[in-house]
Amino acid sequence: MIRIFKKEEFNKAVVSWLGEFQVIGPKRIGNKGLFYEPIEAMEDLYLGPGITVEPMKKFFLIPSEYLNSSSVPEKNKRLIVGANPCEARGICLLDKVFDSEYKDKFYIDNRQRTTIVGLSCIAADEHCFCTSLGGDPTDTRGMDALLFDQQDNFVVEIITEKGSQLFGALGKELEADEKKEWQKNKAKKKGLLKKKINAPGSLGHIFENEYWKEVSAGCLSCGICTYLCPTCHCFDLVDDERKKLRCYDSCAFSDFTLETSGHNPRPTKKERYRQRVFHKFDYFKTNFGENLCVGCGRCIRSCPVKIDISQVIANAPI
Amino acid sequence: MENIYQPHLAQIVDIQQETLDVKTFKLKFKDPSLQDSFDYKPGQFVEFSVPQEGEATFCISNSPTRKTTIDCSVKKMGKVTQALHELDIGDMVGIRGPYGNGFPLNELKGKNLLFVAGGIGLAPLRSLINYCLDNRADFKAITIVNGARTSKDLVYKTEYEAWKNAKGTQLHLTVDCQENNWTCMVGVVPKILEQIQPACKDSVAIVCGPPIMIKFTLPVLLKLGFCPEAIITTLEMKMKCGLGKCGRCNIGNLYVCKDGPVFSFAQLKRLNYEL
Amino acid sequence: MLKKLKDKAKELLKNKQVDLFIGYKRAADKISAAPGFITQEEQADSLIWDAYCVYNLASYLMEFPGKKKAIMVKPCDARAIIVLLQENQIKREELFIIGLECSGVIDQKRGLAFDEKCKNCQLPASGLYDLFIEDKNKKDKPAKPDDFDEYESIRKSEAKSLVQRLKFWEEEFSRCIRCYACRQVCPMCYCPKCVAEQTMPAWFSKAAGLNGNFSWNVTRAIHLAGRCVGCGECERACPVGIPLREINKKIEKDIKELFNYETGLNIEQKPLLSSFDKSDPDEWIK
Repeated sequence: MIRIFKKEEFNKAVVSWLGEFQVIGPKRIGNKGLFYEPIEAMEDLYLGPGITVEPMKKFFLIPSEYLNSSSVPEKNKRLIVGANPCEARGICLLDKVFDSEYKDKFYIDNRQRTTIVGLSCIAADEHCFCTSLGGDPTDTRGMDALLFDQQDNFVVEIITEKGSQLFGALGKELEADEKKEWQKNKAKKKGLLKKKINAPGSLGHIFENEYWKEVSAGCLSCGICTYLCPTCHCFDLVDDERKKLRCYDSCAFSDFTLETSGHNPRPTKKERYRQRVFHKFDYFKTNFGENLCVGCGRCIRSCPVKIDISQVIANAPI
Repeated sequence: MENIYQPHLAQIVDIQQETLDVKTFKLKFKDPSLQDSFDYKPGQFVEFSVPQEGEATFCISNSPTRKTTIDCSVKKMGKVTQALHELDIGDMVGIRGPYGNGFPLNELKGKNLLFVAGGIGLAPLRSLINYCLDNRADFKAITIVNGARTSKDLVYKTEYEAWKNAKGTQLHLTVDCQENNWTCMVGVVPKILEQIQPACKDSVAIVCGPPIMIKFTLPVLLKLGFCPEAIITTLEMKMKCGLGKCGRCNIGNLYVCKDGPVFSFAQLKRLNYEL
Repeated sequence: MLKKLKDKAKELLKNKQVDLFIGYKRAADKISAAPGFITQEEQADSLIWDAYCVYNLASYLMEFPGKKKAIMVKPCDARAIIVLLQENQIKREELFIIGLECSGVIDQKRGLAFDEKCKNCQLPASGLYDLFIEDKNKKDKPAKPDDFDEYESIRKSEAKSLVQRLKFWEEEFSRCIRCYACRQVCPMCYCPKCVAEQTMPAWFSKAAGLNGNFSWNVTRAIHLAGRCVGCGECERACPVGIPLREINKKIEKDIKELFNYETGLNIEQKPLLSSFDKSDPDEWIK
């Protein structure tokens, strides 16, 4: 179902949603960037061009979460407005890990109580490469509804029942000419991205290549790429004052695979960086049929030494 | 929905001191119905919680054919194991599991079995050895080679008599260097294999031990004629969730916790095993 | 400048004076710089030197023990090398330090030039260098005003009440995601097992809550007391924009006032907190 409505009508609807949901959306924090924050007033919500620093995976795979049965789970309904199509598709990939064999009820509960309304990208920068990995700015996977900004009005593509409950009564259905214009705008979006790379089929035969030492030479094992990635899901389980804490962990950390005996199967940056690339572009594909990367470019933007994973796989000596 | 991360309470009903730093803990679930319904295959493991310390991974070292208790042998090494060694009979711990694929019992039936163990590597193999002995007719000749640095480091000493006397079963014990009153073999496990020359026809080798032992045992077995598909091992890596979600124990596209810990060497070669 | 640099690099590698040259090369986006590790003479042509050369390459020095290495540094990065030498983490005879006269570098994330780090850079051109390459085209920086105070922002914070300061830092640390990037980019953070990774005992919570975040950031700042060289990499790397330099600068100011000590400017100096002088102020040991 597709509907069209004026922006003023949308703003009023957001205000009414504030009473029903915990509304979360991109908010500009000074000159530090865009962050997903609780929205208390319409003015806080940023629905312009740009991408958040942290992905919305932190609302499903919570960065610090207690996993005891006695922990009282949050029950309130949440609404995320303004998500990018790339990271919504990332959530679908995470579903394959957490909502499959051994269902993770913490993740699943968070998924069920959240409605995701996306915003089709208004602009893309030089680091975006979703189209090289099967996505694009109009992708609706992972969304309950997808908004298209058309200057004075929004067009919404309603995908699920949850989306219908939010938007079903808003505005009106599109007239024939409005539909044509929307489809024209939609088609233009695919051209927003400048970067195009060929994702490799499989990498197994270059596992032992010196290439991995070269591309990882500058890596500082800092973990930013994994923490900000919409699809990275590695975590640690520790006892925190008698409670079982799940916190983010990173395959880039030097002690990620360090065994108590002192043996470490991935002792240097070469093995660790190779593991990250292989997990995303080989192992996950073997297990689930898709790359574990949506081309959002967050890792590239925030890497302190500008390691660019899109170039790493584009230049891989396959 | 069940909380897959929640351990079940179990009580320590007995503790056996195997060596200076290895203890075997015998556990019983607090909930008796759980104790009855808990079923596992040799080679599977559990995530063991010590209150206020954390979790650690241990294989179940007793055979499912002898499951009055659930046995885990623990070497004192780090935070959780040290705390575990301080516990007494009657103390409560937590158990999650069983996890893992276990040994491929159907592929072992009708074969000669060569068990090769080093130090505490005997723990997962003991489960399988006793399972085979309790189902003796299903398996052909059994040869056990068990080595340790010194005689003080040998585990499950109380089992050796029964294994030596079992039908069609040979036990070879070895230590690295000669000691007083030691009448069995002397030499590292790979050297002992070269001396014994076990036959490879219709045989499967099951190997478990420290990485350095595996590194030198593997070429010896290959030279003896065992093909990589017929050499299986059970691996240990740093594990946390045990469920294939935390992403740390993967070898290639397989997780040691979910798709292992039992692998054949043919599999490991295909998977780019980072030994 | 660049030609001199490349020629020297080629010469050092050709004569086997060094096994490795740590420098800057162009990043994949064709605009920024990236760290480059050169082992062959021909690769020296990929070296660059411009306002995008932001990183403190001294962080990489400890990854190559035993190898003879050359490194190109800005005067601010060279301070880190001095501290590493003072702390015996690297050997002087394994280093060939090439200093570059610097006109300031750009922080792309926050727009143009680094705020105070470059604008108010007072670092002298001289230092511990085996070779210093001057910039013939360097424009003279405007003279510092007489009342210039490099700790102005710190004094402003000190004037605030404890409650106000706590509120400020609670807001900043609430964004900390405990990615430990600040630690990894810092050349002074080289502990093989960081206090945050210890399990026996676990000194502070790994949870990314205010408790653990305060513990982590404050502990790190205190572990850097007298050792932080003010390169600003921590603040630049922080993905969520926490003003980490403010904490380190406050400690820097206190140390300057208490001990008249500035880190990493003089190789003859001893590390501040691991040496003592009879004239040191103290009330607690008599």
